[in-house]
Amino acid sequence: MPQPIILAVPKGRILDEVQPLLTRAGIRPEAAFFDDSSRALQFKTDRADIELIRVRAFDVATFVAHGAAQLGIVGSDVLMEFDYSELYAPVDLGIGHCRISVAEPRDMAARDDPREWSHVRVATKYPHITRQHFEARGVQAECVKLNGAMEIAPVLGLADRIVDLVSSGKTLKENGLVEVEIIAQVSARLIVNRAAFKTRAETLGPLVAAFRTAADGVRDAA
Amino acid sequence: MTNPSLLPEGLRDRLPPEAEALGRVRGAVLWVAELNGYARVEPPLAEFETTLLGRLKSSRPTDLWRVIDPISQRTLALRPDITAQVGRIAATRMAHRPRPLRLCYAGQVLKVRGTMLRPEREMCQAGCEIVGTDSVAAVVEAIRVALDALAAAGATGLSIDLTLPDLVPLLAAGPMPLPADTIDTVIHELDGKDAGALADLGASAYLPLIEAAGPVTAATAKLAALDTGGLLTSRLDGVRAIAAAIDGRATVTLDPAERHGFEYQSWIGFSIFAAGVRGEIGRGGSYAILHPDGTEEPAVGFSLFLDPIVDAGVAGFARDRVFVPLGTDPTVAAGLREQGLATIAALSDADDAVALGCTHRWANDALVPIV
Repeated sequence: MPQPIILAVPKGRILDEVQPLLTRAGIRPEAAFFDDSSRALQFKTDRADIELIRVRAFDVATFVAHGAAQLGIVGSDVLMEFDYSELYAPVDLGIGHCRISVAEPRDMAARDDPREWSHVRVATKYPHITRQHFEARGVQAECVKLNGAMEIAPVLGLADRIVDLVSSGKTLKENGLVEVEIIAQVSARLIVNRAAFKTRAETLGPLVAAFRTAADGVRDAA
Repeated sequence: MTNPSLLPEGLRDRLPPEAEALGRVRGAVLWVAELNGYARVEPPLAEFETTLLGRLKSSRPTDLWRVIDPISQRTLALRPDITAQVGRIAATRMAHRPRPLRLCYAGQVLKVRGTMLRPEREMCQAGCEIVGTDSVAAVVEAIRVALDALAAAGATGLSIDLTLPDLVPLLAAGPMPLPADTIDTVIHELDGKDAGALADLGASAYLPLIEAAGPVTAATAKLAALDTGGLLTSRLDGVRAIAAAIDGRATVTLDPAERHGFEYQSWIGFSIFAAGVRGEIGRGGSYAILHPDGTEEPAVGFSLFLDPIVDAGVAGFARDRVFVPLGTDPTVAAGLREQGLATIAALSDADDAVALGCTHRWANDALVPIV
């Protein structure tokens, strides 16, 4: 039997939205997969030819780009940040909606005019997106790379501004920040390793099609 | 002080047995090329930036490893690709030779930066070019020679992915119009098969190109269904003919949206994959060579990337090594070499067969295996 197809799925909140998609695509993971307390990293499904791994969102892209996993589910923010040439994103799954935005302290925003910026210091998990965004606007961005808790950086004087994902805006508000610019809308995508897409087209083609139909189904049901 | 074993990023030493495997793979590829009538050329490692860039009709600028020539004070570039150099030779020094002109080559190339998948900046590229035509027959020959060369190099489970590199500009100028300033972005998003981004760009009409990708029979049918105006008829006929010609030798897929690395290809491009090797091991297609007088000449060719084949270990080959003690008759060792065995001659009594990695020892007029 050929090696099973490995689907990499990000840890965290998005799992709740992934479950109905997997069901519609005809993939039923073993129970431990949806159990947050499970320490396992690799999971079986009811299909012998498909296995799942649960890793950090940024690592989903890395696993798939290197061909260690053939399929993955990942936010378009991660794809924008890495711009991996070895990834295809053939299906917009229509879940995990949020946006990537620039935010700054409320009192700063009150007297700030973004049109006049020439240099900004930004705390972010997305240095590439940040630099590219500001470069296109003619602003030089100095990035401080953080892996989480960006919101406290302005309060503690690490950087004036942050670039981060925003969904409801609640976290920003609780930390006295306001959104001043939207860089891009974000949603989760099905990604496929480029070489696997060609060499295992017989298996991956129908799977991608199943996810496309599943995503349409979830969208229609909503 | 720099540690003496440290090399610059992306550069490395190849040690035995990998260095030998690379040499054998390179030899096997050139052997097959020459048996198919491709004459060997050896362009230089560096040339003037302008001569390296100007010869292939290309849509995009290339990153080049530039240096200033201390003699002429002009900018030189280290070659990132040998195809352009072969194009220059075909358009200048060999412009008068009869067509179709078949040329082959193998050599080291230097990239400004590696990719995530292939961080190496130096690679060995080998390939063949047919200059003077980009007909279906020429494409079929190029693919067949590439498959023969890869088989000789030890690669198995070969898979060919065909693409139509000029498809988007063609469709944009016809039935699926796009604003001129979004064509490049649409091409980029199609290349990444980013369905969401395409929809955001207002290019949803192009989404079926992503969905059409797959095994060649189904993919050509989907593309034909899309092609109401008959704009793609000749291209699709070409794809079918190519697929039929290589059927059975390799798995064939068609991906009409792929642009990845096909910056200068015209109507057809292809990538080659092999079982057990990460990423592609070869690429080719049709393109146009620009002559000094401004005319264009069609050409078809392929390049193979030999390092990944070696790294995947599919080119493995072990030669027996025979330890020949001091004082052995030299004709004995010569006889062993004639049989294709390597002889390791003792240069002093201190030499040790086992430490020197020998598989056999010459003792009492016979080959004795070392266990």
